[in-house]
Amino acid sequence: MSPTRQLAAAAIAGAFALGLAACGSTSSISGGSGIAVAKGVQTPRTEPQSGGRRGGTLTVLNHTDFEQLDPGLAYYNIDYEVVYATQRPLFSYKPNTFSEPSPDMASEPAQISGGGRTITVHIRKGVHFSPPVNREVTSADVAYAIERGTNGNVGNPYFPSYFSSLVGAKQEIAEEKGGPFPGITTPNRETIVFHLTEPKAPIVLAALVLPLSAPVPEEYAKRYDAMKPTEYGNHQVATGPYMLKNDSAGKVLGSGYVPGKSATLVRNPNWNPKTDFRPAYLNQIDIELGGDTTVIGRQVLEGSDMVQNEAPAQPTVRLAYEKFRSQLELSPGAGDHYVAVDNKQGPFAKVDVRKAFWAALDRVAMNKARGGELVTNVMTHFIYPEIPGFEQAGGLKGPRVDYNDYPQGNAAVAAKYMRLAGYPSGKYTGGKALQIVGSNESPSSEDAEIVNQTLKNLGFATKLTLVESSVMYSKYCGTPAEAIDVCPNVGWVADFGDPQAVLDVAFNGKNIVSTGNNNWGQVNDPEINKAMEAAELIVGTQARANAWAQIDRKLVARAVAIPFDWDKQPSIESKDVAGVGDLWNTGSWDYSFTSLK
Amino acid sequence: MTRYIVRRVLWGILLLILVTALMFVLFRILPTGDPARLRAGRNASPKAIAAIRHDLGLDKSLPAQFWIYMKDVFLHFNLGYSYYSNAPVRGLIAERLGATLSLMLGGAAIWLAVGLPVGVLSALRRGSRLDRVSMGTALVFVSAPEYWLGLIALYLFAADIGQVKIFPGAGSYVGLTSDPWKWFTSLLLPWLVLAAGSAAVYARLMRGSLTETMGEDYIRTARAKGLGERRVVLRHGVRSAINPILTILALDIATLLGGAILVEVVFDIHGIGLLAYTAIRHSDLLVVQGTVLLGALFVVVANIVVDIAYAYLDPRVRYS
Amino acid sequence: MSTVDDSPLLRVEDLRVEFPTEDGVVKAVDGITYEVGRGRTLGVVGESGSGKTVTAMTILGLTRAQGGRITGRILFEGRDLLSLDEGELRKVRGNEIAMIFQDPSTALHPLYKVGAQIVEAVRAHRDLSKAAARKRTIELLGLVGIPDPGNRVDDYPHEFSGGMRQRAMIAMALANEPKLLIADEPTTALDVTVQAQILALLERLRGELGMAVMIVTHDLGVVAEMADEIAVMYAGRIVEAAATETLLNSPEHPYTWGLLRSIPKLDGPRVERLEPIPGSPPSLIDPPSGCHFHPRCEYAQPDHARIDPELLPLPDDPAHKVACLLEPKVRRKLWEESV
Repeated sequence: MSPTRQLAAAAIAGAFALGLAACGSTSSISGGSGIAVAKGVQTPRTEPQSGGRRGGTLTVLNHTDFEQLDPGLAYYNIDYEVVYATQRPLFSYKPNTFSEPSPDMASEPAQISGGGRTITVHIRKGVHFSPPVNREVTSADVAYAIERGTNGNVGNPYFPSYFSSLVGAKQEIAEEKGGPFPGITTPNRETIVFHLTEPKAPIVLAALVLPLSAPVPEEYAKRYDAMKPTEYGNHQVATGPYMLKNDSAGKVLGSGYVPGKSATLVRNPNWNPKTDFRPAYLNQIDIELGGDTTVIGRQVLEGSDMVQNEAPAQPTVRLAYEKFRSQLELSPGAGDHYVAVDNKQGPFAKVDVRKAFWAALDRVAMNKARGGELVTNVMTHFIYPEIPGFEQAGGLKGPRVDYNDYPQGNAAVAAKYMRLAGYPSGKYTGGKALQIVGSNESPSSEDAEIVNQTLKNLGFATKLTLVESSVMYSKYCGTPAEAIDVCPNVGWVADFGDPQAVLDVAFNGKNIVSTGNNNWGQVNDPEINKAMEAAELIVGTQARANAWAQIDRKLVARAVAIPFDWDKQPSIESKDVAGVGDLWNTGSWDYSFTSLK
Repeated sequence: MTRYIVRRVLWGILLLILVTALMFVLFRILPTGDPARLRAGRNASPKAIAAIRHDLGLDKSLPAQFWIYMKDVFLHFNLGYSYYSNAPVRGLIAERLGATLSLMLGGAAIWLAVGLPVGVLSALRRGSRLDRVSMGTALVFVSAPEYWLGLIALYLFAADIGQVKIFPGAGSYVGLTSDPWKWFTSLLLPWLVLAAGSAAVYARLMRGSLTETMGEDYIRTARAKGLGERRVVLRHGVRSAINPILTILALDIATLLGGAILVEVVFDIHGIGLLAYTAIRHSDLLVVQGTVLLGALFVVVANIVVDIAYAYLDPRVRYS
Repeated sequence: MSTVDDSPLLRVEDLRVEFPTEDGVVKAVDGITYEVGRGRTLGVVGESGSGKTVTAMTILGLTRAQGGRITGRILFEGRDLLSLDEGELRKVRGNEIAMIFQDPSTALHPLYKVGAQIVEAVRAHRDLSKAAARKRTIELLGLVGIPDPGNRVDDYPHEFSGGMRQRAMIAMALANEPKLLIADEPTTALDVTVQAQILALLERLRGELGMAVMIVTHDLGVVAEMADEIAVMYAGRIVEAAATETLLNSPEHPYTWGLLRSIPKLDGPRVERLEPIPGSPPSLIDPPSGCHFHPRCEYAQPDHARIDPELLPLPDDPAHKVACLLEPKVRRKLWEESV
């Protein structure tokens, strides 16, 4: 689960919505979630999955550089574009789904046994590492890959969240040595077994779609993992259809990846198409980093054999919608944005004050600042589109309570809840000034201003501070001790298509930590906590969806935070590219499925 | 004269040391990224970060760190290691210098070749239509923001996205040694954009300087000697008028060698400017320090060179 | 002082020079006529604003660029200089007619060596090699009395003293053996002692080279020694012209009287007060009607404001010309009374 990348959001900026909000003639095209996407624009669900021709080189123009390309560290949607083309986790999503992973390195679906405490996975035969390792992948390689998540030199961000129920994992996390530990065993070359201390198999299984489970050859990687920090990423080998270009010793840095400049993916000569569901049409992918985003947008739209694989600048989206509509893709379920309020102390500790704020906020205006109807939907509860449980939790309109029924805000309803909270005038009369910390990048800064104004209208005195988004997360909103009352620019992108990945870290009381806290509102409702604990153990997609949808409704009933935006991320391609976007990765173009026409 | 040069050089070195020290202190005081944290990666554990901090020598006292850094820079010319690019700073700078040099020298050649003659003609025909048109145009280009000008140039003339497809588009720069023709054509548009503003500045400078010069008595003497007007203007007028311009030129070049950031970003030319920009965005402090130091070095050197050159340009100037 | 050719070297005929300015048309030179004989020295005397400098500069065509209207004739050896185009005029400048200016420290180019500047003057009109031109330059520097010319030829102007600079300028002017040297306030910017040296130099050179000299100055004392003839200018017109002796001893124009009276005399009584001419020089945009001097003349009559005086020779001395409306007999009486 990652906080919505500020850069991805920042691209959709400014007043362009004025022109577009009006002309968003929406006809519901994307199946399944009922989310409206503008007419004539393709989505990952509607794109043809069988592509154009074999061969050719795709040029990718990205303004933003990668964060981490090491599969054990990669965590953001732009990193995933490269990682999922070169690495094969145990399970992966096909491009047009976010809820049914397909076996990837696994040869068949996993088996859960032992009352939910044991997961057995069979490894596919005939998959080989790329040069210079070359040999066949075994279960030991998968074990090592997951174990290195506890290595202090690797610094995997999600191991504790999903894998701490493995036997011996907690101690391993504390020691930071990188295993091995009893929770993972490999009875033979083709089998890997996970042993859990609690019946949390569903979540562990779901987390196996993350890149951590992509095999890593220990004898080759050991020496790199001993360095501080690990250098394996700069020398990585691949199991997927493509690999980062490297030299004969396996060094990727300098050829396959030049920070700030370029990345080059070439075919993995040891990849066997018969073992993979990926078609891999392209021969090579040249990623060029840097440059001005508006220029990139035009170059891609007007050029050939190119894509931009990050959120384009807002003028580009407008241009694409108006003149190059067939080259624009919108992906619902690309994450959300909401306002976190301090549930623990201060004025927002009262549920009625929270409800009043929810009623007062003009969510349509907040979204207009982000680009309007084309790229947003008004958010009405917490599980977002494409995640199982979305419909059960209320779908587009959400739970029908009065504070939720007015997307443009309703002062009367707000006043009603303020009175219920003990302010007879309908406005706040307490003494405390609210601390609001937002991001200084557009359009988040505009949203922060709207929130500020809304609270002022409710009678609050406010102190608004806008800082760089990483500082906002790390120093202020992610540190409970700072006791920030309102964080208007937080958001979430789920790690995998399970509602727990959306709700647990953000709203479970037990996940509040002193630094790097992602439960920004310090939500700690015992009833909700208990429900989450129970729902964690439920097996079966449908059953889980139902259980977590009920929790979502409870979160709405308790108004733990104020939602406003469900993102529909835009992506653009040249006219002769048959792009296939990954629904599960904000619609980013998937190099293993995309082809040239 | 030699004593003068030696003194200036020593002062220059002292100045560089001061700049480096100031930067070092500033970066430790200002709330920017923590180098150990950034090197370790965003999600590293506190233990890992501590280990890296120790490796980087950041757990030593501040004066100790300062001393080590200064020694490294000034005795070993070691500018440190870039966490982001995974390479020594010195190497990164050396790699990128060529692009910035190419950009700058070409741009300078064009703006001088255009700006100076326009300035001379305008000075000679003050008030004429030529003068008013050229000075008006110059004013437009001086005021136009470079970034905007670059974007406009691309939207008008770039081969991939322009209206009139003449020049290669953004991102097409390659080094001189890899493909000389492509190197040249990819730099044409950036040169023009870089030169546009400066040509305007230099035209105005030359016009002012020459106008003043042509009113001097020795011009009258030159004419009274029976010299041709061309000789009077060039050898007597421009010869004097160009001195202050050369001073400014040296400083301009020095500043640009620190990286023409805006042009490099718009056209995606991987020079020092873009290096600095990327480093700032990623809080890659040592790279930023390296580029600032480089820029300071150029300015200091340019100042000294200009002062020395002035002794040759203007015989009335004497140094003791 | 016998000359083979009696015709004047330079004859300026009814020269008028007007400049348009924002405030109006400046009539810098309002119809003047004079001559310079071969090998003779003419002094042109007047206050600042009298038009004397404009006169001198116009001879060489140095006022053409200012957009003025120039009428009349400037006959040099029979050729009307005003009818020559730039190219032809350039051949005359620095060659047959040379000019030196008031402030030698600004009149020389500060960035070139003195020798180089003189070499330039030489090679502008003669086809000499650099070495030959350099030799000639050293010769010239010696001629004008600069010590150690072989070394000083490579000095810059700022390495020369004021007096030496003026000598260098003179050397530059003489480079091509001009027939006429025009000197515009040649000593004004120099110390008194140096002034005398420079004037002596000019006198010597004139004799040695047989060239004509026209000295323009405000200082009667300067021309008293050197000039053969003196022309007095006032407000763009010549009011009196005569041989030097004659002018100093029996001047006929009230302005000249005023000039002479305002000069301190070494042999005069100490108590005697200097008498400046009352009033100030008139504006050349709107000069007084009729006789330009009448507002300041103590002997002016009413009709002097209406009639333009002509420069006419005196009956008993054709070389002595006066532009005054008073009767000659009246004037003589006034002068004798005041002396």
